[in-house]
Amino acid sequence: MKGLPKRVNKMMASCLKAGETPARVILGRLYPKGVKSQSTGEDDPRSHTKKHLNLFDAPFITAYDVKPTRAMRRLRLSSPFFYALAVLAIASATLVLYLLRGSLNTPIIALLFLLPVVASALGGLGPGLTAAICAFLAFNYFFIPPLYTFVVHQTQDILVLFVFLAVAVVISQLVARTQSSRAMAEAREREATHLYALSTALAGLRQDEDIARTLGQHLQEAFQSAPFEIVIQPTEGKPTTIYKFPLANPEAPVTKPGHLSPLTTPRGQVGQICLHPSQPLSLANERLLNAFANQGALAVERAALAQTETRASVLEESDRLKSALLSSVSHELRTPLATIKAAATSLHSGDIPWESQSRIDLLAAIDEEVDLTNRLIGNLLDMSRIEAGALNPRREWNILAEIVGGVLTRMRLAAQHHRLEVDIPEDLPLVPVDYVQMEQVFTNLISNSLKYAPSGTTIRVHAHAHSDALHIQVSNEGPPVPSEHLERIFDKFYRVTAAERVTGTGLGLSICKGIVEAHNGRIWAENLPGRFAFNFTLPLALDGMPPPWLPVETDSA
Amino acid sequence: MNAQPHILVIDDEPQILRALRTILTEKHFRVTTASRGEEGLALAAANPPDVIILDLGLPDMDGTEVCAHLREWTLIPIIVLSARDNERDKVAALDKGADDYLTKPFGIEELLARLRVALRHRAQAQSKSQTTLVKSGDLTIDLASHVVTRTGVEVKLTATEFKLLAYLAANAGRVLTHQSILTHVWDAAEVDQVEYLRVYMRQLRKKLEDDPRQPRYLLTEPGVGYRFVIEE
Repeated sequence: MKGLPKRVNKMMASCLKAGETPARVILGRLYPKGVKSQSTGEDDPRSHTKKHLNLFDAPFITAYDVKPTRAMRRLRLSSPFFYALAVLAIASATLVLYLLRGSLNTPIIALLFLLPVVASALGGLGPGLTAAICAFLAFNYFFIPPLYTFVVHQTQDILVLFVFLAVAVVISQLVARTQSSRAMAEAREREATHLYALSTALAGLRQDEDIARTLGQHLQEAFQSAPFEIVIQPTEGKPTTIYKFPLANPEAPVTKPGHLSPLTTPRGQVGQICLHPSQPLSLANERLLNAFANQGALAVERAALAQTETRASVLEESDRLKSALLSSVSHELRTPLATIKAAATSLHSGDIPWESQSRIDLLAAIDEEVDLTNRLIGNLLDMSRIEAGALNPRREWNILAEIVGGVLTRMRLAAQHHRLEVDIPEDLPLVPVDYVQMEQVFTNLISNSLKYAPSGTTIRVHAHAHSDALHIQVSNEGPPVPSEHLERIFDKFYRVTAAERVTGTGLGLSICKGIVEAHNGRIWAENLPGRFAFNFTLPLALDGMPPPWLPVETDSA
Repeated sequence: MNAQPHILVIDDEPQILRALRTILTEKHFRVTTASRGEEGLALAAANPPDVIILDLGLPDMDGTEVCAHLREWTLIPIIVLSARDNERDKVAALDKGADDYLTKPFGIEELLARLRVALRHRAQAQSKSQTTLVKSGDLTIDLASHVVTRTGVEVKLTATEFKLLAYLAANAGRVLTHQSILTHVWDAAEVDQVEYLRVYMRQLRKKLEDDPRQPRYLLTEPGVGYRFVIEE
């Protein structure tokens, strides 16, 4: 303890008296020069200590892996038990050697005396030294002539005695040091094992609750189930996660003060661990606690970063979609608007004779283009709803033929150059779908077919129930789609042919996909011999119930 | 009633108001316009029109609310205008007392057809003489004697089928919500079971339509309800 500033010595003395946690006793030695005095203006020297403790390298601190109240004894004096053992060992050795003295010469006896000294040194430096001195005295008393006195006459014997003493002291020191470094190594290994287990367990956790629970489980293991409380609050105003052990009453406030270890990240404190050990923590344990807190803080930070990253990538994706939408929309909207503008201005100018065919054509063009614009906007709305996951189909038991019939009636004009064939069995069960959304699916599939199938060909709608699912096929006699495109034609803005050749938003099929999937169905496209087909399936169950069978009256009014 | 039917248009879009005023005046209607709900309610009370055209997206109050306020004191037909994508709003307005709806953008022929239906119902309601014979295309429905004929031949209907057809025919031209049909035709216990309505409608179409899958008389209003159409 010499060499420490007086203040630290004094403080240490008072700590020892009060039986307080000894961590700070070691302070002076841990601090680098200049920090030693502790006079940095901090009110609580303890918090100051912790802050600095975190800065030091493990081996340096571990050298003081002792509880200072006992540390003094272990370092300098060790436990009385080991001293007693040392004395006993020497006494026994003396007795045995004394009995065998006839057949042993003095150097052998000296060598043999080293055995109990080495053994005693295993109990610490103190017992080792005690054994060395006892052995020295016993050797002198019982084996160096003149016997039974501490007097030594021959110079040779004096030399032997002092060589013996020197060897004994050196050996006991070496052994004791080896012992203490083994203990240190074990403590460090234990610590490393705990930390490794903890960091492995924490890796990949994204939820604060999971982090708190994992941290808690490892704390429990590392600190022999001492009660503790973990609080995690990643950012101000965000919900706080609390994990308590024992869990008996998680609501009960912890009144007993314990070891506080903050979870600190570059952004500031994100939580804390409060441990209530049954006896004061050793410095190594306190450091382990801090290391746990650091691991916890890292995990919380990682989780926060991962969340930010996820949000960022979602935003990026939606941003990408929006720019794609914008460019598509501005192009697609301008085309009909150009027609409308041209037709309206030319009608407005009065150049077009009142009763002329051109006038009728221009008006028809305006009407058609307005409908196109309207459909376009509808598609955009549908797509944005699908993207936002806000489709929420209102599934009810419907008659598929009624839905398809409505669509065909509405598309009669658009489909005037094609033949439409519907093959839906009379006895098809009711289907659990959102009427309006399912209309949208058929409208988009049929209008896509109309776009690509040559005029005069047939577009066929076929449906059949297959055990607990409905299978629907909309096929046309359009050209086959290369197989590498089959998967992707349901992607947004994906076109097999050049965009200029076909009108539309490039959203129709992806809307179909969105709606079918919102109905827990599946949609795919395939090339059939001479035909191209869209297929989709729909589960024939609503809230786990099969299609209802409704009794229909047969009597007449 | 004046020779010129009086229409009150409540809509916050000046372009729509201008267009409707021009077109309807041209078609010999007398047009009053309001751009806010409160103003519309005040105008309707001060000078009751024959038909009200009401936009559901008003700045000061919900269009459904305007319907409810009007229905507290008058049965003037209300035609609501709404955007394509909110069937729920349409249904809510219809259940709150609106008579019909039109989806923006709409063609003027559609609007005029709706206006004609509304005016006819108004005239019927005022004369208090319930028509008992409804004719549409080949169909004749005698609501009093429960006889339905198609091209002169009597069609046998079950009790529920007739009740359903009679309710639709009595409100010919108007859209009727699922809810309203179910409450009128079925017991209270089955009011939320749209599938009954779907199945009976299919039966009716099989008996009355030339092509039940592309009906002429009994039309589906997607997501809203059904409408019986009078073919002249």
